[in-house]
Amino acid sequence: MNLKSYLDLYELLKNDVSSREERRAFGLSYGLGKSPLDQVITWTSRYYKKLKSPLLSETFSSYMYGVTMTLVIIAFFLGVFSGITLLSYNGHEPVNVVYFMAMVIVLPLFTMLLTVLSMIRSQSAQSILVHISPAYWLEKMLGLLPNAMQKSIETFKINPLLSNWIVIKRSQLLAIFFSLGLLLSLLAVVATKDIAFAWSTTLQITPEVLHRYLNLLAFPWREFIPTAVPSLELIEQSQYFRLGDSLSDEMIHNASKLGEWWRFLVFATLFYALFLRFVLYLVSLLGYHLALQKSLMGLEGVNTLLRDMNEPIISTHALHVEKISSAVQKNIQHIQKLDTSYDVVQGWAIPLSKLTVVIDSMEVITPNIFEVGGGNTLEEDSEIVHKSFGEVLLYVKAWEPPTMDFLDYLEILLESVDKVIVCPIGTEEESYKAKAKWVDIWVQKLSLLHNKKLWVKI
Amino acid sequence: MMKKHPRFAVVGHPNKGKSSIVSALALDDTVQISDIPGTTNKQRSFPLKVDGKILYELIDTPGFQRARRVLAWLEKHDVSADKKHDVVQMFITEHRGDSQFNDELELLEPIMQGAGIIYVVDASKPYGKEYEAEMEVLRWTGQPSMALINHIEETDYSSEWKRALGQYFKMVRTFNPMTTNIEQHVSILESMAQLKEEWIAPVKESIKLFERYQEQRIEESSQVITQLIYDALSHVEELSLSEEETTTDEKERLEEQYKQYLRKLEIATQKKIEKIWNHDNLQKKQTFLTFKNLDLFSEESASVFGLTRKELLITGATSGAITGAGIDLLFAGHTLLLGGTIGALVGGAGAYFGFNELSEIKVMGQLLGKRYLQMGPMKNRNFSYIILGRALFHTSSIATRSHAIRSVAELSMENAFKEKWLDDSLRTSLEKYHKKFRSLDEINNETLKEYETLIKNILFKLIRH
Repeated sequence: MNLKSYLDLYELLKNDVSSREERRAFGLSYGLGKSPLDQVITWTSRYYKKLKSPLLSETFSSYMYGVTMTLVIIAFFLGVFSGITLLSYNGHEPVNVVYFMAMVIVLPLFTMLLTVLSMIRSQSAQSILVHISPAYWLEKMLGLLPNAMQKSIETFKINPLLSNWIVIKRSQLLAIFFSLGLLLSLLAVVATKDIAFAWSTTLQITPEVLHRYLNLLAFPWREFIPTAVPSLELIEQSQYFRLGDSLSDEMIHNASKLGEWWRFLVFATLFYALFLRFVLYLVSLLGYHLALQKSLMGLEGVNTLLRDMNEPIISTHALHVEKISSAVQKNIQHIQKLDTSYDVVQGWAIPLSKLTVVIDSMEVITPNIFEVGGGNTLEEDSEIVHKSFGEVLLYVKAWEPPTMDFLDYLEILLESVDKVIVCPIGTEEESYKAKAKWVDIWVQKLSLLHNKKLWVKI
Repeated sequence: MMKKHPRFAVVGHPNKGKSSIVSALALDDTVQISDIPGTTNKQRSFPLKVDGKILYELIDTPGFQRARRVLAWLEKHDVSADKKHDVVQMFITEHRGDSQFNDELELLEPIMQGAGIIYVVDASKPYGKEYEAEMEVLRWTGQPSMALINHIEETDYSSEWKRALGQYFKMVRTFNPMTTNIEQHVSILESMAQLKEEWIAPVKESIKLFERYQEQRIEESSQVITQLIYDALSHVEELSLSEEETTTDEKERLEEQYKQYLRKLEIATQKKIEKIWNHDNLQKKQTFLTFKNLDLFSEESASVFGLTRKELLITGATSGAITGAGIDLLFAGHTLLLGGTIGALVGGAGAYFGFNELSEIKVMGQLLGKRYLQMGPMKNRNFSYIILGRALFHTSSIATRSHAIRSVAELSMENAFKEKWLDDSLRTSLEKYHKKFRSLDEINNETLKEYETLIKNILFKLIRH
């Protein structure tokens, strides 16, 4: 797993390259028994080819590489120049080793402490410790330069945890190259010049105390390379007081010995500035890796992806989309009030007993009352049609929509009589008054017959 | 061709709610439901599928149109009971392609292929003899059957319907597709399983999966809501500045952009929730969604969905006290519990004075020369409860809405809704996460999962009980 996986996954999730079904099929084929992280990485490696070029991962990696290389070169040369400046010897005054020691021991230890603290606080998006890192600011400054590549990635919002670890990791790398520059300059200056090292401080430090401290600082190598630890004699001989008119006689006398400090300085650089920093770099690599894992699993859409892979697809919906039925017409002759008498009154699926009550309640007079449809056979209905004539009032249950069975009957009836008035009625509880919405349905359906003999009571 | 999985054909007279029942049972809002008879003129299958494997299938069918004619044709064949099934098959074979019996063929075909019969009637209207031809035709098929009593309107003629249906069906159940819930749904499925012995096991498995499906959707909704809250609270809106001085217009523009982002986020989340619950075609009162009358930032919103100033004060003080108590604990109580006290005071005061503020507007990037205004992350503590309350209300309304309902959803707010899900301990737990979301610190997956679990539990409570 690397930054490429993270960026590819980010882009894949953003572009939604696979359907739910494909994800589930992938989960069933490749995901069983794997950890969520492995599932996500395997999925990314399988699908990244679907992304359009240039990939964000390539652009970003290229940008990162460019920035890191630039910063590494700057740091290295900064180290070289710092070393040369610190070791500059004019032949009159010796080189004060305290400066160099501060640069290769104190400064690395201090910045490493800050690094450890920033590692602990890496969760914080606005970690001051990360933001004071030179790596962070150098990159910010580089960002101000016109850069087409940077424009293409500026919409990408990297996870703050990961971003912090990128800065931490890169800071360690820069520190290593800075220290390498220092070491190189030390070796180069030592090899090309005859430098008289001395130590000088305003603090009341005796050579014995300094020897004790230096011995302590040299603990990693003092057993193996005792010559790389300054002796008490050397420390005494190389103490330098600024107020002296010139170099002390003792110093001049032991000029050849004063150069012996370089071994200590080299090993101090190697251990404090390089070895410890390298260890921290390894720790930062581990932290970066863990942050990458966390960030990868925290990407928006990862939980959905995992759920899609591991949860069965349950669906209940229809297989096909239903076609919407065509528009309806409402073009039919209608009356609003019934006449007082009709030649025939019929009730579609209305029992005779009820039909009589309906007729009475509507004050209609007729000599012929028939029940049609409902429990009748088709033959019985045919007989009633034969008996029907003139104007027929046909009661229907408004709430029962007209079936084709009814329309078949109505068509036959219309052929035999002069006029049919279809009268939808409500239930007994509704006092046989039909609701408008039901009457409307009858009107729509009966309009389809286009028959001039047909009327509807609305 | 006989299919191995259980199939159920929902049949009946036109306009008795067959499609509504199918829509509710299949959780599908694409079913055409209309008062106009004959809206359904083709059988339509609604399979319960798990990873492509069908566990059972519901089939929506057209209503009977010429039941008497079909019955008359069948009765012309004087056969013993064991041959009646074959006669129905003969009818289908003989009339295939005959438009006169299109609807009857559509409804009889799945039954003759082995589907169980679910005969739907509307008991809000009186029983009529015209139904008998339909029931008789169904009896001829010899397939296992049950009757489902639907109530389209308030009136009740159940007793007369039950007496009549009892003559034709061994099992008669009542089911209202408009008000159904998961328990009623499962109960109907259990009844359907009883139609045939070999269907019991697969339908029981389907019920388990169906319940899992419900859980899945609650989990998905929790995930979507969690993302909404996180995005809303942590969002930072920026506006590039052209001039040295910041104008009021620029500040107002940024604030409007910020609000607009949050509104869009909420609308997008609602869409996702509706999709999760198969309510893609839901019609809603747009005023609710566009906040014309009820703005996300109005005082009304705050009082209905968010916390009152007093509740906010208590929440702020409690979360402050918890932080302070951590310091007390660190010093083994040597701080004389000052940490807790100060924390409570600071938290409470912050909550009280920050009631009306959303977030600060800052000028950024001055050192680097790229000057821009920045608004966010959300500073208003109440906002998290407003947006969460709204999301929970919307989700629970959608999740409990039957798919048979086609009317416009009026997601009107209830003042009592907050009491249904929010109590003091939950408020304290939520505040812990809201604080993290507002901090812009890296929020790991575990934290989001923990918050998601909280939301899931709330949704379970709101939807399942």
